[in-house]
Amino acid sequence: MGAECRYELSQTAYIKLALHALKHPSSPVNGLLLGPLQTPAFAADPTVVVSDAVPLSHSQIGLLPSLELALIQVEEHFGGEGVGVVGYYHANERFDDAELGSAARKIGDHIFRYFPRAAVLLLDNRKLEELVKGKGRDPVVQLYTRDSSKSWRQAGSDGGSQLVLKEPSANVVLMDYISTKKWQEIVDFDDHLDDISKDWLNPDIFK
Amino acid sequence: MVGAAEEARLRRLESQVENGGGGAWEYLCLVRKLKLRRSDQVLRHGLALLNDPRARSKLGGEEWTLYEQVAIAAMDCQKLDVAKDCIATLSKQFPSSGRVGRLEAMMHEARGAWAEAERAYALLLENNPFDQITQKRRVAMAKAQGNISAAVDYLNKYLEIFMADHDAWRELAEIYVSLQMYKQAAFCYEELILAQPTVPLYHLAYAEVLYTMGGLENLQTAKKYYALTIELTGGKNTRALYGVCLCSAAISQLTKGRNKEEKEGSELQSLAVEALTKDYKKRAPAKVPLLTNMLRNMKLTS
Repeated sequence: MGAECRYELSQTAYIKLALHALKHPSSPVNGLLLGPLQTPAFAADPTVVVSDAVPLSHSQIGLLPSLELALIQVEEHFGGEGVGVVGYYHANERFDDAELGSAARKIGDHIFRYFPRAAVLLLDNRKLEELVKGKGRDPVVQLYTRDSSKSWRQAGSDGGSQLVLKEPSANVVLMDYISTKKWQEIVDFDDHLDDISKDWLNPDIFK
Repeated sequence: MVGAAEEARLRRLESQVENGGGGAWEYLCLVRKLKLRRSDQVLRHGLALLNDPRARSKLGGEEWTLYEQVAIAAMDCQKLDVAKDCIATLSKQFPSSGRVGRLEAMMHEARGAWAEAERAYALLLENNPFDQITQKRRVAMAKAQGNISAAVDYLNKYLEIFMADHDAWRELAEIYVSLQMYKQAAFCYEELILAQPTVPLYHLAYAEVLYTMGGLENLQTAKKYYALTIELTGGKNTRALYGVCLCSAAISQLTKGRNKEEKEGSELQSLAVEALTKDYKKRAPAKVPLLTNMLRNMKLTS
């Protein structure tokens, strides 16, 4: 099902996940991707819109309690708007690790059970490096979808057609934020648990 | 692992130094003491100090410690020429020093020259087999190359000798968690709890691992350790308070329909609910409705 799906990644979600990864350069980070759960009935092709992201953790990613808490609270907050969890993003600890690890796959599986067109985005460290140096054009993430054999597969090398950035200028905006070290402002669910006055919704980050 | 008071002092110093208010040396000492990884700031402020001859001379003998600290920070930020200069200075001052030799081996690591680094460390260990830092560099190198099983192997062998190294136990536990080897991670935390039973962090981490493993017995034990954490932290640890709630909800799910003999558990969870609600009302009032709904859905309140 996921193999034929198009995914549209909004600037808000894209930048939040990139900033989250940049804030914690020496640890793995992960987070939830949110979007409207129903496509309009008249839509010709099934496009999953990722409208927002909630950064989750930057340490001890294999543990359940904070993941479960975050899923509950995200559903509680966004449920009324018809928005839910449509995917998951992950950034590996090491620069040259471009594989989707088992922890990420497990979490992806869990999300897939509730949303069969779930996407998993893995941060592409090399593309991010190019972007930071001012050379990159491509989105700095790799798309993974669940194929019929129940495993997560990277979208084809022309994956550019499956994953699109909704706002083409998103990379330019991201580069700008990088130069102003905007990543210092991003808050994840881990940060919230350490200090509840920090808001994982990041409501004012782009104001 | 940094206590709240020290974290506050660090943040204060950090913003003071960043805004030109001085206190760089104090900040650098604190970072060194707490073993934090603030390479960007250390490099900038440390280098500024070293390049100022007056400030440098005021440091006296501590100057060399700063060279070492800046060298490591430079390597972390991939400013290898800065690191090379610092190491050269140290090498002149302390010829044929093992400590400087270790920095030179780290340089190989920073350049990605793994084989050379391996050789350098092996040589250092020949001269001093009980050099803990070098032994741990070998673990770090294995991890950096993605050879996690080798890292686990080295770390286990290291802990057979240096079983009182708490940082090493924690590192091993975290590696096991990342591999989803929860039983082994639990064992590490058990060692830590035995060694330092009044450190709440270990009880909390142990509870989180047990919860992840699941199953009635683990959940009940997890709840106990969350409760212990609450006690040790005076009820201020949000994760532990939430943990009690999660455990209670999960346990009641598993024991649905069975005889509910454990009524003593429910006092704990209502206290946790109360503490959480009070804290959120004070520090995160916008989230109180969310919290209340969540707890109600988990059947922890009516």
